[in-house]
Amino acid sequence: MKRVYVAEDTLEGIFSAIYDAWKTKRDADGAGIALKGQMERELFCEYTQTEPDRKKAAAVERMIKKHLGMETYKDICYALLSEDEKKADAVLGTMQAARKILNSTKIMEHLACPAVQKVFALSRKVSNEAHCFIEFVRFKEITNGILAARITPKNRILTCIAGHFADRFPNEDFLIYDETHRIFLVHRKGRPWFLLESEETDFEMLKDELETEEKFANLWKIFHTSISIKERENPKLQMSHFPLRYRANVLEFDEK
Amino acid sequence: MKLIEEKMHIEEKLKILTDAAKYDVACTSSGVERQGDGKSIGNCAKAGICHSFSADGRCISLLKILFTNECIYDCKYCVNRSSNDVPRASFTPQEICELTIEFYRRNYIEGLFLSSGVIKSPNYTMELLYTTLYKLRHEFHFRGYIHVKAIPGADKLLIYRTGFLADRMSVNLELPTAEGLKALAPHKNRKNILTPMRYVQTKMVESKQELALYKNAPRFVPAGQSTQMIIGATPESDYQILNVAESLYKKFGLKRVFYSAFVHVNEDKALPAKTGEGPPLLREHRLYQADWLLRYYGFEAAELLSEKEPNFNIYLDPKCNWALRNLEFFPLEINKADYYALLRVPGIGYRSAGRIVKARKNAVLGFEDLKKMGVVLKRALYFITCSGRMMYPVRLEEDYITKNLMSTKERLPREVREMGYRQISLFDDVKFGGGNLW
Repeated sequence: MKRVYVAEDTLEGIFSAIYDAWKTKRDADGAGIALKGQMERELFCEYTQTEPDRKKAAAVERMIKKHLGMETYKDICYALLSEDEKKADAVLGTMQAARKILNSTKIMEHLACPAVQKVFALSRKVSNEAHCFIEFVRFKEITNGILAARITPKNRILTCIAGHFADRFPNEDFLIYDETHRIFLVHRKGRPWFLLESEETDFEMLKDELETEEKFANLWKIFHTSISIKERENPKLQMSHFPLRYRANVLEFDEK
Repeated sequence: MKLIEEKMHIEEKLKILTDAAKYDVACTSSGVERQGDGKSIGNCAKAGICHSFSADGRCISLLKILFTNECIYDCKYCVNRSSNDVPRASFTPQEICELTIEFYRRNYIEGLFLSSGVIKSPNYTMELLYTTLYKLRHEFHFRGYIHVKAIPGADKLLIYRTGFLADRMSVNLELPTAEGLKALAPHKNRKNILTPMRYVQTKMVESKQELALYKNAPRFVPAGQSTQMIIGATPESDYQILNVAESLYKKFGLKRVFYSAFVHVNEDKALPAKTGEGPPLLREHRLYQADWLLRYYGFEAAELLSEKEPNFNIYLDPKCNWALRNLEFFPLEINKADYYALLRVPGIGYRSAGRIVKARKNAVLGFEDLKKMGVVLKRALYFITCSGRMMYPVRLEEDYITKNLMSTKERLPREVREMGYRQISLFDDVKFGGGNLW
């Protein structure tokens, strides 16, 4: 009978479940992973809960890095940041498939395997979305010169964009709030960044803009309008590059 | 004039000087990878980053402004020509630095694109640009992207020094040929434009050699040099234009040549008459497609066009057009053909060609596999075989293939489609308008 491990939807939770699944059955179809709260029960399956365990997760992380390589590790992490109920299963499937090939670090090139294809597609989806937010995040300066931004991504992309902004603004205090998943990315001047999850958040703080903010926002809007060439105007083209769903917190698209 | 200018608000200046800069095409922030140093503000990504898109659908990556729109020249196509009665303004270096930094902090932009009208003299203008960049780099500690124009006629030393502060430098070719330039920009000459271009190229090579010796040597224009020319203001053929572009790539080592469909901003008897059709966007598009073929696909200008056939086909993209005239080159066997041969097949891009070469090491490829790899089969099928078989029994005959290719629709970028070319169906194999590369 197929044994399905039910994991918490975090990197640690899923890696722990992979650890358990790997221990019992290493072949495809023998074991699977479902996510807590978003699974559909199947027939002829045995369900086991897996608790997140730091040691187990670390072991799996080591194993992936060692046998599948850093590139694959990155793809796997990105895939696991997506919102997809089958993501953990696909990662397990990819790891199983990697055992069967000669050079397991090249596993991501084996796109004929459905699990690999899934991981590849998810990873690409997340990294595309992350890239969009690297482009479209807009900061406002609030009290104490803190830069604050708010985004509503589909996937948990804060981890993917944190490094970019921390590298770019080493001397700024900044916050990016992921409204969908209620996570803050926090960076303090000269320190490493971290994520902060919170159920209750005080948004008032983020609304406390400095007076100069309006001036720069206005200047930006002036620039944004003036740079367009009237003879070439084309809202549909603009829309396909900058889809509506990314425009929520972007000042140049605010209704005046 | 001076009095008004001093009182002018920054908002007004920004409006005027953005308006005056918007006809410059390049807005790329690509070509240089530079990580933050933990102290200054900013970094650069190799592929470049777009931050917004304006109403005309072009990407906004850099704060693209003129230092001043005052100009001593009277180029007939230019909105800032000295004989035009338009409001004039000038920034101060301090204002530009503050704008750049404050926009950058808020993640509006990737850096600065600084161009300028020629005020007083080329040297005077270049010095202003240099001062601005120096201030931005050394007082404001900006590590983001900077694209600056080299002013033709300015002293070498000024260009040399500015080059160490900028990531990309460009000198505008303005018009494809020397005759065109003479007719429309009487105060400029070809030699003055090519001299700084050559100079920047030489210094770039030297800088690279120096870097090989000393890791921390300063870098001169690390993201390379680009240029742009206006298309459709003068009577050159596509063949001439493409040849110019090719020699710029080969002889001057340029990173990019940009083509800018001529937009009517002035009335002048030397300019083509206004037609009401809008800028020649399809022509611009075909040139970009061909430009791509030159840079990434190993084509040469003389293969794509000739004296006899000097202009691009409006119905067929340049690659299809080439394939149809060189049918003896086909069909190609996917599992054997050389990478550069694969690149010449319509419907196969450089990404899918790369995937094919990798994947065929492990397995024999069939048409289904090609589909998964992103090959556009409806165009490629006439030119390829998999294990010796074609996808359908088709004839390798020019008329037959042309007819079939024409019935599949080319995915033209929206800006071209929406501008009145909708009635014709065409094909295409590179997606243009994807912000980053521009």
